[in-house]
Amino acid sequence: MTKPPAKARPHFADEGIEKGVQKLTGESITPVIRDILKTEGGARLKVYMETCAHCGLCSEACHHYLSNDRDPKYSPAGKVRQTIGEILRKKGAVSPGFIKTACEIAFTECNLCRRCVMYCPFGIDVAYLMLFVRRICHRLGVVPQYIQDTAHSHAATLNQMWVKEDEWIDTLHWQEDEAREEIPGLRIPLEKEGAEIFYSVIGPEPKFRAQLIYQAAVIMHVAGMNWTMPATPGWDNSDMCMYTGDFEMTARLKKAHFETAMRLKTKRIVMGECGHAFRSVHDVGNRFLGWKTEPLPVVHAIQFYYELFRDKKLTVKQKFDQPVTLHDPCNVVRGAGLHELARYIIHETCDRFIEMHPNREHNYCCNAGGGVINCGPPFTKKRVTSNSVKAEQLKAVKAKGANIIIAPCHNCHGGLEDIIKHYDLGMEIKFLGDIIYECIKKT
Amino acid sequence: MIHDIYSLLRGPMVWLAFCIFAGGMVFRITAMVGLARQKDRVVFDYMNTRYALRSILHWMVPFAGVNMRKHPVMTLVAFVFHLSVLATPLFLCAHILLVKASWNLSWWFLPDGVADVMTACVVAACGFFLCRRMLLPDVRYLTTASDLFLLALVASPFISGFWACHQWPGYPVVMMAHMLSGEILLAAIPFTRLIHMFFFPFTRGYMGSEFGGVRHAKDW
Amino acid sequence: MPEKIRFMGSLILLMLLAVLLCPAHAQEDIVRVADRVFEAPMRPPVAFHHDAHNEKAGLDDCSICHHTYENGKKQEGSDSVGMECSECHFSKDRNNAVDLINAYHLQCNGCHASRKAGPVMCGECHRRR
Repeated sequence: MTKPPAKARPHFADEGIEKGVQKLTGESITPVIRDILKTEGGARLKVYMETCAHCGLCSEACHHYLSNDRDPKYSPAGKVRQTIGEILRKKGAVSPGFIKTACEIAFTECNLCRRCVMYCPFGIDVAYLMLFVRRICHRLGVVPQYIQDTAHSHAATLNQMWVKEDEWIDTLHWQEDEAREEIPGLRIPLEKEGAEIFYSVIGPEPKFRAQLIYQAAVIMHVAGMNWTMPATPGWDNSDMCMYTGDFEMTARLKKAHFETAMRLKTKRIVMGECGHAFRSVHDVGNRFLGWKTEPLPVVHAIQFYYELFRDKKLTVKQKFDQPVTLHDPCNVVRGAGLHELARYIIHETCDRFIEMHPNREHNYCCNAGGGVINCGPPFTKKRVTSNSVKAEQLKAVKAKGANIIIAPCHNCHGGLEDIIKHYDLGMEIKFLGDIIYECIKKT
Repeated sequence: MIHDIYSLLRGPMVWLAFCIFAGGMVFRITAMVGLARQKDRVVFDYMNTRYALRSILHWMVPFAGVNMRKHPVMTLVAFVFHLSVLATPLFLCAHILLVKASWNLSWWFLPDGVADVMTACVVAACGFFLCRRMLLPDVRYLTTASDLFLLALVASPFISGFWACHQWPGYPVVMMAHMLSGEILLAAIPFTRLIHMFFFPFTRGYMGSEFGGVRHAKDW
Repeated sequence: MPEKIRFMGSLILLMLLAVLLCPAHAQEDIVRVADRVFEAPMRPPVAFHHDAHNEKAGLDDCSICHHTYENGKKQEGSDSVGMECSECHFSKDRNNAVDLINAYHLQCNGCHASRKAGPVMCGECHRRR
C-alpha cells in the first residue's frame, strides 16, 4: 500500500553523530549489530517486536507526536518501526545514513519517559526498545557530542560535569560558609563515618546550582539530621551513561556510588531532586550490578521531605503565598510513584495548589529527560518545538492562576525553562527544596 | 470428489490445524521462556503475580484504563471483536454438533441468532480496523502488508461461515472455504502477530510487575 | 350479523387450510425427517424421500436404518420399523436433545461419508429453501 507523503526530516548538525557516521561503512555496521542482537537481544526484544499489533494506540501518549502536528514518524511505534524494526528486518545490514537517522530518533525524539507504555494494551516497553537502539549507536560510536562528553566525564571523573575532587570539596566548603552566615553552627559534614544519611547530588549541582546544596544543608540542619557527604568521587548519583547505552559505565558509576555510601557506613542514601539519577540508582544501575533492589535504601528528596513533614521535623513558618502547580517528573512518578507524597509536601508548604492536566502518572514529559537535554545546543530548538503540548498544558494552568511550577527534577527544570522562554509563558520554576527553604522555621 | 475434499477438511486437516496451533503455542512459549532464561533473567526476578494480575485485569475490563476512555469507539469495537472472535467459534451450535458427532462431547452453545450477530460484529470490526489502517495517518504509517493479510485471514472464516450458515449461493464451495480458512487461521496464530493472543499475559504481566513492584505506579 | 359471517368464514378457511396441509402427513411416502420431540427446531427440517432414497441407495433391509440394539449389540433379524427414533434416542435416561440430533447425524452422515454418496455438509440436508 502507499504510504502518506513523508515530510522531510529536519536536519540538525551534530558533530558527534556526523563524525561518528563518517567512520562507518556498511560492512563495519552489520557485524556489530549482529553481535549485539546475538548477545543482548533477548526475549523482551523479540516478544515486544512480534507482539506489537501496529494499532497506533500509543501515538497520543507521546508529546513528540502531539507537538509535531501528529506526524506519524514521531509516534512511539513509528519510531520503533524506523529504527529497531528496520534493523531487525534487514538483519543488521543497514547503511551509515540509516544509523545517523536512527541515532537522532533514539537520542532526541524519545525521552524514555514510558508514558506510551501505559497506553499500549500489551505494555510494550518502547523505552527499552529505544534504549536498545541507543546501545547499538553507542557500540557503533555514533552518539550526540554533548551527551557523549558527559559520558566521558563520568568515565574520567565518576561525575557528570568534569568536577575535580578539590573543586567538589571547595564547593561544599563554600556553601557551608555561606550557610553559616545565615545559621551559625551549620555544618556540611564531610566523610562522617556512621552517619545515618549519605546525601548525594548530581554533578550539575556543584557546577551550576550550588545554592541547592546550601538549601539542603539548611533543611538537614533544621531537621536535626545526622548526615554526611563524601569527599571522594562517588558523590555524584547521576548517570548519563545509562542514556548513551554505555551500560558498562553505568554499572561502574553505581558501584562507586553505593560503595562510597557503604565505606562511610551510612544507613541510607538520600538524594537531591533529580529524576534520572533516581532511575539509575533504583531501577537500572542496581540491575547491572546484579542487585534486585538497591543494596542500601535509596530515598528520593520527595520522600525524604515528606518524612520530615510527617514526623514534624520541619515546621512551616509561613506558607508560600502564591498559587503553585506541580509538574510530575516521569522518573519519580511513573518511576517511583512519589506523586502523592509531593502533593503532601505542597499542601504542607503552600497556600494554594492548582493541578495541571493531565497529571500524576499521565503528566506530559518535559522533553528534557532521557538524556535529550544533554544532547545539547544542536537540538535545543527541536526540543522546545517538539513539546508545544507541554506549553499548552502550562498555559492552561497559568490561566487558572498558577504562575509557579514546582518540578522536583533537574532535567524537568531545564526543559521547562526552555519551554517557558520559547513560548513566552512568563512562569517561574521551583524545586520543592526552594519552597521548603523559604517557608520553614529555621531557628 | 466433493466427499474426498470434505472428509479431508473435516478430518485430517482439523487435526493438523489444531496440532499446529497447540504445538506452535507450546513451542513459542517455551522458546520465549527459554530465551528469557538465557538472556533476560531480570524478567523472572521482577515478575510478580499480584501486580501482573492487577495489570492484566485492568486491561481486560473495558474502559478501565485512561487510554481506553480516550478512544471509546476503538475500545468498544476492540472488546466486542475479541469477545466475538473467541466465543463464536467455541460456542457455535454447528461446531459443537460436529464435535458431538466425532467424540460425543458437547457443551453450552449460543443461540443461532446471537451467533449471527457476533459473527457480523467480527466482520464489521475487521472493516473498522481496515478503515482505521487506511484513514488514520499514524496507523497507516505503521501498517504493513502483513497487517492487511492478517485482517483478511481473521475475517475470512467469519464471512464464509456466515455465508454458508445462511446458505447463500455457492453453498458447498463456500462451506469448504470456511473450513479451510478456519484451519489456516488456527494454524497461523502461533506464527504471526496473532501470537499476541499468547504473549499478552506475559508482556502485560511483566510491565504490570515492573510498574507495581519497582515503580510503585499504575500502568493503565 | 356481519360479525357472525366473518367468524364462520374464518372457521371455514382454517378448516380448508388444515385439510390442505394434512396430506403431508397422511401420504404413503415419507418426504421429510420429522420427529415429534423436535418442538422448536433451530434448523430447517430435512427433506427425505424415503422410497426414492432407498431405491437409489439400494437399501432393501429395513434394519440397516431402523435398527434395534440390546445391551449395546445390534440385533440381527429384527427391526424398529414404525417406531420414532426418539423412542430410544430421547428416552428418560438420555434426556438430551443433542443425543437425538447426534443419532440422526451419525445415522445419515455416517453412511453418506463412508459410501461417498449423498449430502454430508450441514446445509446440504438442512436446506433453508
